[in-house]
Amino acid sequence: MMQLTSNTNWETIDKHLIKTEHDIVNVRQQIRFCAKQLNMGIINQTRITTAVSELLRNMYNYGEGGEVLIQKGMVDEHNALIITCSDQGPGIDNLELAMSDGYTSGKGMGYGLPGAKRLVDRFEIESEKNKGTIVRIMKWN
Amino acid sequence: MNTELHEKRIPIIKIGNFLIVSIQVDMHDKLAIQLQSQILEEIEKTGAKGVLIDISVLEMVDSFIGRMLSGMASMAAIMDAAVVIVGMQPAVAITLVELGLEMPGVDTALNMEKGMEMLEKRIADEEYEI
Amino acid sequence: MGETHNIQRIKERINNIEDVLASVAAGDNEARINSETEDDLSGIEAAIDLLIDDLTDELIQREKMQKEVEDKLSKIQEQQKTIFQQQADLMELSSPVSKVWDNVLILPVIGTLDSQRTQIMMENLLEKIVETGCTISILDITGVPTVDTQVANHLLKTVTSARLLGAECIISGISPAIAQTIVHLGIDLSSIKTKATLQDAMIYAMKQNKLSENVKLQTLFTDPDENED
Ligand SMILES: Nc1ncnc2c1ncn2[C@@H]1O[C@H](COP(=O)(O)OP(=O)(O)OP(=O)(O)O)[C@@H](O)[C@H]1O
Ligand SMILES: [Mg+2]
Repeated sequence: MMQLTSNTNWETIDKHLIKTEHDIVNVRQQIRFCAKQLNMGIINQTRITTAVSELLRNMYNYGEGGEVLIQKGMVDEHNALIITCSDQGPGIDNLELAMSDGYTSGKGMGYGLPGAKRLVDRFEIESEKNKGTIVRIMKWN
Repeated sequence: MNTELHEKRIPIIKIGNFLIVSIQVDMHDKLAIQLQSQILEEIEKTGAKGVLIDISVLEMVDSFIGRMLSGMASMAAIMDAAVVIVGMQPAVAITLVELGLEMPGVDTALNMEKGMEMLEKRIADEEYEI
Repeated sequence: MGETHNIQRIKERINNIEDVLASVAAGDNEARINSETEDDLSGIEAAIDLLIDDLTDELIQREKMQKEVEDKLSKIQEQQKTIFQQQADLMELSSPVSKVWDNVLILPVIGTLDSQRTQIMMENLLEKIVETGCTISILDITGVPTVDTQVANHLLKTVTSARLLGAECIISGISPAIAQTIVHLGIDLSSIKTKATLQDAMIYAMKQNKLSENVKLQTLFTDPDENED
């Protein structure tokens, strides 16, 4: 299992519980605001907001809701926005399969995870059956 | 719950043969699904031949809303109405493509005027075929 | 009596030494014992003062150096920022999008395409499409010597994004060498309209323009080749 990158110097901006669809809308609006504050261009703002929206929806659909942590800090000499989505849901059995384009266990299109990965600069995922799933993404300009 | 949804209802306007929908809010999932059925009901009620969905103020389209929009187009097509997505922002388009949603089969237009022309052309073509 | 008094004095002086050392440790560079009495203990006190002198000198020196290094670093970062900005400006200049005639944009690309430049080009073109409302754009790569997988993917992405906006993007000027590379790399460009020369692309664009003009005039002309279904 891969180890999530972390750094004690990262500054926590906010933390939210995701329980309803409204939480998803509110958090993605906050993410755009934070991206703007970090001087990201309009396309990168849209990329990170969309990636987070995918992760939150997965958490809401499959993980029985969860928690999102918004941080900022240095990653490889970049001023990055770091978003961590964690849930205590059923976990993902086959990560490789879940990360491939077009795979869905439900009635989605199966582009959420692989698509989110393409939209960010770093994507890390950790999942254990019956324990839950953590996805950490990082974006810089 | 009901009143809250009602408050945020997205208005559908009929002009001539066409329906015009302008999405002005960041939609949560239920609102998106509700809009889909609302438009289909309106097509049935009015016999509209085309629907213009203006998304020029939408700052983000994720896989859910993308799926709703392309589903919308297929469903309307079955009811013999054409859907044109109007005014997508460049950042939204790039992000959608990177996400992997190229929305094949969905007609798009740069602005309302061009969208209207497209729908008119389509109807003219159909009449010509008869 | 005198004995206890002496011990009391010595205790006080040792306390003083401890205080001074504590102050120095806390960052006070000025603290010294500066004993005025002359006895066995005063030698030690003088030695400690000397040690503190050396230590604080070194500390001050080091702080000065650190500040100099930080100053230099921020100056370099400032310069780097300027260079980045200039690079970005240059890139924008080197990919001018122009409206050649009604409804048609042309973006001639000259020189080697790297991933970053292609990205900026793509953004410029899409912005310009929205701004001008032109539904046809020609991306001419006659002046591009080679294309790699990443650049080809960016080109593909540009065309697909343009379609989502409601515009058609044609790629022209694909040299034999680039055609070979593209096929060798296994890149599928079949979904996009490519033309050998800029001229061919312009003729195609003109036809498309005429087509939509004709529709506006409600004439019944339709080119069978251009029917989408
Ligand atoms: N947080 C999670 N907990 C449990 N399973 C998950 C989680 N996130 C994703 N999965 C599993 O991974 C699969 C792929 O996820 P992905 O987001 O790529 O596609 P999707 O959600 O099925 O469809 P789309 O996102 O395109 O609507 C899901 O179908 C689900 O089985
Ligand atoms: Mg998903």
